[in-house]
Amino acid sequence: MTQIPLPDPYQDTEEYWKAAREHRFIIQKCGDCGQAQFYPRRVCSHCLSSKLEWIEASGKATVYSCSVNYRAGHPGFAEKTPFVLAIVDLAEGPRMMTNIVNCDPESVRIGMAVEVCFDDVTDEVTLPMFQPA
Amino acid sequence: MNPLARMRDRITIEDVLNSRMIASPLHLLDCCLVTDAGGAVVLTSMERAKDLKKRPIAVLGTGEAHTHRMISQMPDLTQTAAKISGKLAFERAGVTHADIDVAEIYDSFTITVLLTLESLGFCKKGEGGAFVSGQRTAPGGDFPMNTQGGALSYTHPGMFGIFTVIEAVRQLRGECGPRQVPNAEVAIANGTGGVLSSTGTIILGRE
Repeated sequence: MTQIPLPDPYQDTEEYWKAAREHRFIIQKCGDCGQAQFYPRRVCSHCLSSKLEWIEASGKATVYSCSVNYRAGHPGFAEKTPFVLAIVDLAEGPRMMTNIVNCDPESVRIGMAVEVCFDDVTDEVTLPMFQPA
Repeated sequence: MNPLARMRDRITIEDVLNSRMIASPLHLLDCCLVTDAGGAVVLTSMERAKDLKKRPIAVLGTGEAHTHRMISQMPDLTQTAAKISGKLAFERAGVTHADIDVAEIYDSFTITVLLTLESLGFCKKGEGGAFVSGQRTAPGGDFPMNTQGGALSYTHPGMFGIFTVIEAVRQLRGECGPRQVPNAEVAIANGTGGVLSSTGTIILGRE
């Protein structure tokens, strides 16, 4: 079985992946403008401040858009089809691309309430995903 | 009607809906081809072009815009950067939507066309589906569009945008044979790149 492509943590993201391994879901919040952002970056995407801090996100989100993928774009996903690729609105504001799991893929709808869950893909990598709340 | 098109058989709505699902709600026939191809345009001054063998076509106006790098960061999935690039092109060209005789709209997927037509202002948001319904974009329809077959039927080498410009020029030159739009004088071509990230709009006209 081919492994799915996995993240390669670096300076800006290692904190996020470390937390995920501990089944904690953290995002960045700006110490200047107060807005949250995802994905992790070195500066605030709203005001360009570098005063970013990590906060524990609630893990609550709403489906903004979704699609059920029947054709794997990478051999690693072949055994996972059909799977839900979604963009969710986190309760804290930012949008995040993710999978909606632990449900019938065709049952996922725009506006559905979802919550974070964790997929321990390897000993080193855990992927935060979402499931119906 | 395009002898160079990869797919030339008639496709019905049922054919599309019966083709296998790729990523819902897009079926196989909602997705563009993957082919080899290449294209080019020659750009020169109108003064120089007047001496050439081919009928010169004028660039009336252009616009470019970019809204995001990653699809998850797209500000609004229902509107593309064509809203900005289209406005610029129309303003610079000094023409209105009613002046457009033929439209060549990048069609990576069927939804790309609807989003683009709405973003360019040919119809209101959410009305793209109705706008293209009833054979309006088919040969003889009152909104000639993607007359060479588009990326869905003609070709898509990964960079289809050039073919929207080439077909617009050919239509304005009157070189299109059976698929020629009668008396085409003004054409619009719109390319979309990245992941619905950036758009380029060009309005062309007969000199």
